[in-house]
Amino acid sequence: MLDVRRVQKTFNPGTPNEVRSLKGVDLALVEGEFVVIIGTNGSGKSTMLNAVGGSFFVDAGAIHLDGRDVTRWPEHRRAGMIGRVFQNPFSGTAPNLSIAENLALSARRGRRRGLGWALRGDLRSQIHEVVRSLNMGLETRLDNEIGNLSGGQRQALTLLMATWLKPKLLLLDEHTAALDPKSADQVIHLSGELISRDNLTTLMVTHSMHQAVNLGERLIMMHRGQILHDFRGAEKRRLRVDDLLGRFEEVRRADLLDETAAEMLRRKYV
Amino acid sequence: MSLLIGALTIGFILSLLALGVLISFRIFAFPDITAEGSITLGAAVAAILLVNAWSPLAATTIAVLAGMTSGAATGVLHTRFRINGLLAGILVMTALYSINLHVMGRSNIPLLKATTFVTRAEEAGSFLLGGRESLNLFGWDVSTRDLSVLLFSLAVALLVGAVLYVFFRTDLGTAMRATGDNSQMIRAMGVSDGNMIVLGLAVSNGLVALAGALLAQYQGFSDVQMGIGMLVWGLASVIIGEALVGVRQLGYTVTGAVMGSVLFRLLVAIALRWGLDPNDLKLITALFVFVALILPGLLAKVKMSKAGAAHA
Ligand SMILES: Nc1ncnc2c1ncn2[C@@H]1O[C@H](COP(=O)(O)OP(=O)(O)O)[C@@H](O)[C@H]1O
Ligand SMILES: [Mg+2]
Repeated sequence: MLDVRRVQKTFNPGTPNEVRSLKGVDLALVEGEFVVIIGTNGSGKSTMLNAVGGSFFVDAGAIHLDGRDVTRWPEHRRAGMIGRVFQNPFSGTAPNLSIAENLALSARRGRRRGLGWALRGDLRSQIHEVVRSLNMGLETRLDNEIGNLSGGQRQALTLLMATWLKPKLLLLDEHTAALDPKSADQVIHLSGELISRDNLTTLMVTHSMHQAVNLGERLIMMHRGQILHDFRGAEKRRLRVDDLLGRFEEVRRADLLDETAAEMLRRKYV
Repeated sequence: MSLLIGALTIGFILSLLALGVLISFRIFAFPDITAEGSITLGAAVAAILLVNAWSPLAATTIAVLAGMTSGAATGVLHTRFRINGLLAGILVMTALYSINLHVMGRSNIPLLKATTFVTRAEEAGSFLLGGRESLNLFGWDVSTRDLSVLLFSLAVALLVGAVLYVFFRTDLGTAMRATGDNSQMIRAMGVSDGNMIVLGLAVSNGLVALAGALLAQYQGFSDVQMGIGMLVWGLASVIIGEALVGVRQLGYTVTGAVMGSVLFRLLVAIALRWGLDPNDLKLITALFVFVALILPGLLAKVKMSKAGAAHA
């Protein structure tokens, strides 16, 4: 379904702020696969999702989605196949539009938008149904501006919007990180439900070890712009939080080792 | 009385300008100064076609299309070439100055002999009133011509306002509003935010050019200088309109822009009547917009400090 091949991305190349965020990443997802990504801060997780989503073009490599080469497709064109939820709960909705209008926009994701009435009668009742299924009481406030809602409520609605038209790929980037624990629980629960209901091919970045071991059928660990581990099948199912913490500790020590080795070399040769 | 009718008529005509500014300023959140060039462009195109005996409807329609093109040009400079929106508008406005001179062939075209919408409105009015020259309205003598033109302008303002309101609630119009609100979100919904901005600025400047075309026909001439200060004028109308209706809801802001334009024109007419020097008009308009822009912030601060004082 998704095929990421040797993708590289460097920000601010040739300046003192140069960052090599992706250093030749390979990743393939089959249809219906739910993959969780973890990694240290700045390891390139968001860059990877943004590269797939089309927020920018990659410097090298190719990205194929559903058999099509989307490497040079602009973001809005890829959006016809991709549903996205961002870390910032305010990124996924238009604050001055009503709840109903926001959802109506998502009901035409990637389709032509003409001069038809945005909130057609039948769509309105569908929106009412879907919002009611959240059990947040928002179905009575469909005409209120979405900007007045809490981060958790907006993130739940963004999830509905990302999945209203079944996407070929769902990208979730630490979408519960900015929420209070209770809302985070609600949103992660909803995510799991929607993903398994529609058997969505999903890439989910998380900061939570707990989510990482309990969700998805495959776990990828990133570090310094590369994929370090790829746990699948039985190995993924056996994985516990302690194992992951152990792996992170290994990474940290390897990094230290690198630095001392470099320091030794420098002393010797400079 | 004719002063009042004149002020109302210009108020309704310029409410089309206010609706255009509403799109750039309130939806895309940047004041598009292309308006100062496109209002003149609308006037220039309409004027040159009218003196060449085109029908008022055809001349006005082509004026609107010309305005839309200039708005699209600003949109393309802004989105494709990544030039700051204000600067893109300044570039197009400056270019339009020369273009307007070329269109008109001179700096001023009188329309006194041409058949304009004013002629048509007058014909319709006198037909409806059985050929009477004037009419007694609440004890005032009103000329048929003035009244017909006023009603025509009112009808155009209401029609355009209604069409705009409906447009904003279609799939396309909703996507346009969302673009200004959150461009990241609208891209994730599969919409090119760049295309939306180009389209929105085209619609905005089409409305502004319509205002220019009608204004030229109403005042009986088109002049290459007539756009100067028009953006601030439009901003003032939008801001007064928002103060009048109080809420930022769609239907209200559209109605508000029309009401704001009319009220502002009335205030200006009264001020001029009281002896305000017409040369000071733009200075006072600019001051007014300045105050209106900083007032909400100041009020909030006063409230804060009062609350702070109450706590202390
Ligand atoms: N748009 C950008 N411009 C410049 N640098 C960026 C940009 N996006 C990410 N980076 C840099 O790339 C590195 C990886 O970032 P990111 O992918 O956000 O990491 P994370 O794994 O925490 O999500 C970081 O050093 C970050 O500063
Ligand atoms: Mg990140």
